[in-house]
Amino acid sequence: MSSGKQGDVILEIVDLAVEVQGRRILDGLNLLVRAGEVHAIMGPNGAGKSTLSQLLAGRSGYNILRGSVRYCGEDLLPLPPEERARRGLFLGFQYPVEIPGVNNVYLLKAALNARRRQLGLAEVDAFEFLGIVRERMRLMQIDEAFLSRGVNEGFSGGEKKRNEILQMTVLEPTLAILDETDSGLDIDALKVVAAGVNSLRRPDRSVVLVTHYQRLLDHIVPDRVHVLAAGRILKSGDRSLALELEKRGYDWVRAEASAA
Amino acid sequence: MSAVAERPAPLARLAAAVTALGGGSRARARRADALARLLTLGLPTPRDGAWKYTNLRLLERRDLAPAPPRPIDAQLLALLPSRPGATLVFVDGRYHAALGSGALPAGVTFTPLATLLDQTATPALDARLGASDHLDDRIRLLNTALAADGGELSVAAGIAVEADVHVVHIASGAGAYPRLLVTLAAGSTLRLVEYHLTAGDPDSVAAPVTDIDLAAAAHLEHYSVGLTGIRSIELEDVTVTLARDAGYRHCHIANGAQLARLDLRVRLAGEGSSTALAGLFLADRARQLDVRTLVEHLVPRTTSEQLYRGVATERGRGSYDGKVVVHAGALKSDSRQSSRNLLLSKEAAIDTRPQLEINADDVKCSHGATTGTLDEQMLFYLLARGLERDTARALLTYAFAADVLARIALPELRRYTEERVLGSLPAAALIREFVR
Repeated sequence: MSSGKQGDVILEIVDLAVEVQGRRILDGLNLLVRAGEVHAIMGPNGAGKSTLSQLLAGRSGYNILRGSVRYCGEDLLPLPPEERARRGLFLGFQYPVEIPGVNNVYLLKAALNARRRQLGLAEVDAFEFLGIVRERMRLMQIDEAFLSRGVNEGFSGGEKKRNEILQMTVLEPTLAILDETDSGLDIDALKVVAAGVNSLRRPDRSVVLVTHYQRLLDHIVPDRVHVLAAGRILKSGDRSLALELEKRGYDWVRAEASAA
Repeated sequence: MSAVAERPAPLARLAAAVTALGGGSRARARRADALARLLTLGLPTPRDGAWKYTNLRLLERRDLAPAPPRPIDAQLLALLPSRPGATLVFVDGRYHAALGSGALPAGVTFTPLATLLDQTATPALDARLGASDHLDDRIRLLNTALAADGGELSVAAGIAVEADVHVVHIASGAGAYPRLLVTLAAGSTLRLVEYHLTAGDPDSVAAPVTDIDLAAAAHLEHYSVGLTGIRSIELEDVTVTLARDAGYRHCHIANGAQLARLDLRVRLAGEGSSTALAGLFLADRARQLDVRTLVEHLVPRTTSEQLYRGVATERGRGSYDGKVVVHAGALKSDSRQSSRNLLLSKEAAIDTRPQLEINADDVKCSHGATTGTLDEQMLFYLLARGLERDTARALLTYAFAADVLARIALPELRRYTEERVLGSLPAAALIREFVR
């Protein structure tokens, strides 16, 4: 399973229905993401956005009732989370956990080498690795002192999000799913995060931005915008849909869908 | 008369051991008195509140008599972290000058107690060794009955001791009952590091008792590291009394013995005095590792903090039983207790019981306790970055111990303990570089 060329299907979700603790969260969700595309999934709170992100990354505890998820042509759902990560699926967490005692930079190095082994590439040594990380840290405006700290330990909300994007730029995933990476960021931090994401845009990589607000999309221009509500994609469009949602909210989409 | 000779209870067998210790009349009387009290009270059982989590049935099959002297291979000490400063060694409870190293720092004096215990009849010493009928004091009674030696370590007023003092306890046979008295005069400071070892793998029973007296504004940083063999029993009893503005820090690392228990009692008896207690136990194999603390806020403006972490794996068991008592009138007492415990196998078990008894107004007290498996969110985060499950689990286990490891101010001991924690993890090799 290697990353594709522009236009190849990277992620294909068909009629996905998911229950969590007896509650139907996703119900008939369809999504198609091709190589090189940036998709934004927007929706009101409780629409199932985070469930979708976490489920794609392999979190357990979801009861899949029906449907399929294919990633780079293979069935994604049987793969454990670590296997998905090594095959280039990256989740930027909405709430990155703090793990005191686990060094930030060694986690990143181990993550990169796990990915490189999967790709059949030689592992990077400490020297090479530091070169890669330092460059990306400059882009993400992250202080070098972060290297020696515990994972996200004592980081502010904005620092945690920048650290997620730093990890993403180092790991260079085939598919990055960014779960509300923009929430809680001030405008300067938002620009830094957007620069990180944009630096990754390439014909063979895809990004799914899960977001509540359209302001992130001023800085990362999406190819497609989807409205996720009531557990499925109710409407899809281009960038102008996001602007319309910003103005009119979500209720009209739901009204439209139930009328249809 | 029964055809089978009745086996005397373990304590009853001790009368001969007490007689064999000899000594002057005062010493004989003190020992006999302690043994008599102990026989009346009996050994603690899980029915006693303070011993709820520690089952001493193992003791019944053990020879509690003090071990006879035997030669010890000095190489044993080489396994410990390097010890800049002075090292004092006790073998089976007796001071062993030849195994020691380094000169005591200026301002520090050490006096072996053998002569004092056997001959001297000073009321002051008798008071400090005094027998008590309190049920919590039975290990102390055992020590009082059988201690043949020990030491008094004193720091003169106003001396801030630069070099560390290390005390190594080695058990090689049956019973070991060292008695330590640590006295810091006003304004002095000391760092004291105690190691508990065994030579070979004896069925040893050690009951070291330490009394610590901190005068006004004296500060003691105290480490106790338990590394004894898998068949040993260690029952350590430490009582600390603090005068005005004195400070006591204790860090307990337990990764030895078949059964080990620390009883740590801290009496905040002077205004402005404070204590910070921390501990980590790693109950692997079938070890039982228990910690019991009793912190008493006796006067106003006193502060205590407790940070205990326990890890149990395989068939290991452990407990934290910590009590804070704020006595009447101890206004503005500030107390925090945290006990977090990690279970890594189905057979492992840990009990935790933080308790708070408040008899004064205007105090600030908090406690928290958890026992569980690895944090699922942390685990998922590491897996989502592509780490192997075994690696992720080992990393999180190590990380669990990290806040106690961070309390170890001595670099040599800290590195040693880190290695010890790593060594107890199945995936040590996988995570070594992460934690450097």
